[in-house]
Amino acid sequence: MSQINYRTINIDKLDPESSANFPLETLLPATLPQSETSSDAANVATQVRQLLRGGDTEGALRHALDTAPLGGDDRAKEVHLATVIEVLQGIRQTEMARVLEGVCGSDGGAERADCLMKYLYKGMSASGSSGSKNVSPQVTGSGFSQVQARNVSEGGGGQQMSVLLNWHEKLVELTGTGSIVRVMTDRRTV
Amino acid sequence: MATPQVHHLFHAPIADHSFSSDKQTLAVARENNVELYQASGNKFSLSDELKGHEKTVTSVDIAPNSGRIVTCSQDRNAYVWEQTPSGWKPTLVLLRINRAATFVRWSPSEQKFAVGSGARVIAVCYFEEENDWWISKHLKKPIRSTITTLAWHPNSVLLAAGSTDSHARVFSSFIKGIDERPEPSAWGERLPFNTICGEFLNDSAGWIQGVAFSPSGNALAFTGHDSSVTVVYPSAPEQPPRAMLNISTRLLPLNSLIWNGETEIIAAGHDCEPFRFQGDENGWQLAGSLEKQNAGAAGPREESALNMFRQMDLKGQTQVDTKLKSTHQNTVNTVRAYEEANGQVSSFSTSGVDGRVVIWST
Repeated sequence: MSQINYRTINIDKLDPESSANFPLETLLPATLPQSETSSDAANVATQVRQLLRGGDTEGALRHALDTAPLGGDDRAKEVHLATVIEVLQGIRQTEMARVLEGVCGSDGGAERADCLMKYLYKGMSASGSSGSKNVSPQVTGSGFSQVQARNVSEGGGGQQMSVLLNWHEKLVELTGTGSIVRVMTDRRTV
Repeated sequence: MATPQVHHLFHAPIADHSFSSDKQTLAVARENNVELYQASGNKFSLSDELKGHEKTVTSVDIAPNSGRIVTCSQDRNAYVWEQTPSGWKPTLVLLRINRAATFVRWSPSEQKFAVGSGARVIAVCYFEEENDWWISKHLKKPIRSTITTLAWHPNSVLLAAGSTDSHARVFSSFIKGIDERPEPSAWGERLPFNTICGEFLNDSAGWIQGVAFSPSGNALAFTGHDSSVTVVYPSAPEQPPRAMLNISTRLLPLNSLIWNGETEIIAAGHDCEPFRFQGDENGWQLAGSLEKQNAGAAGPREESALNMFRQMDLKGQTQVDTKLKSTHQNTVNTVRAYEEANGQVSSFSTSGVDGRVVIWST
């Protein structure tokens, strides 16, 4: 009888009324776009790079944010994150304000701003571990291995972080704290 | 716009407040008790305490006509308090819930009240003559999480509820023998108990913190933790709404809202000041704050040299900047209409974590 340690039983799993069994998918709106795969995201990445090469930074950012794989799988999201960060790094600091005005000021701009804020936070959380090399096909490991990777590649991550923080500052000036709060509530993750 | 009338009652959070219809009594939920304040001149002074709850009181409501007070608490109970010659007498309500009661409001008919709870049910309570007690019927489906807020439709049958599952819902709480058959409306025609007349979810989700029906009852507004206000115009029973307009703001989340006529909403929350939203079916926008600019702290005051050096000595700074510019010094929890006629609110009251009750004119 003494083998079962009753203190370690997770009673929430056994209780159908428990809040731990809350179905998270009920928080997703019905208008969620079609699920995308990583190859779709890679296609978008090529288009965005083309725009970037053509010097149309505003168009590139706009396109990247409009095609965010909100309903995609984890791989597609990883690939798209790399695309967005590439765009953000490709825009000079003096141009940031102008580009943001263009991307977030026009029709549907509020949604684009919220989307960009999601990418900024995701970029900051992933910074260092997968910022520049996450197009590689290997599966990202558990949280533990990410922590290790972050410690190893300190240099590149720091520079990317400063870019993201710069964007964050500019974006908050434009959209206020509401946009940050929405990153936390929104279940349509990027 | 007159300056807001501030009543700083104590240094503790106010979970909820309610004025009696003659505005002479103010009930305030403070920790485990409800305090009753009596107006004397321009001030409110403590006159009575309603003691009985064993845990934090979460909500309080005074019925405007009967004067009965209903309170609910985290101890899973609700009491109806009636004034007798020997003081306020509580009657226990049979809620049958196993989690905290979070929110309570009288229906406009005052025959019923609804209690939201963490047990994922709304207890609709009514008085049973034969047994001389308040009993409840549960609205259960399809609530998936704690009910945070409730609002009654003017017909006393429809009930709007906001929940931490990010949905705002409209239910029928029709109880035979208590309610009269409601007029058919855009929300529904036949309305047996627990009919779901609407279920709404914002794109950006977020816990719902406040709901309100417009004065006509033909529109519903709700606000949530995603810093947005959503207005829903129903089209016909069992049809998708005619319009569902979402105003995402640059503010911190809003906690409570009221309608002022059909084209204006007043909401307040974590930004410590009330905001005005204006619009109609074609679109809504944030019209600005109701706080008078440079009111409240009135900008940097003229400081004497003595004061300046004293501040430098005590705090290492010349100016005390611990005071917010807003009238409320902390999050606003509740917004209520104070004076209204035909749906037009001429003044409203707010209460918050800073222990203040403020009366604003619109």
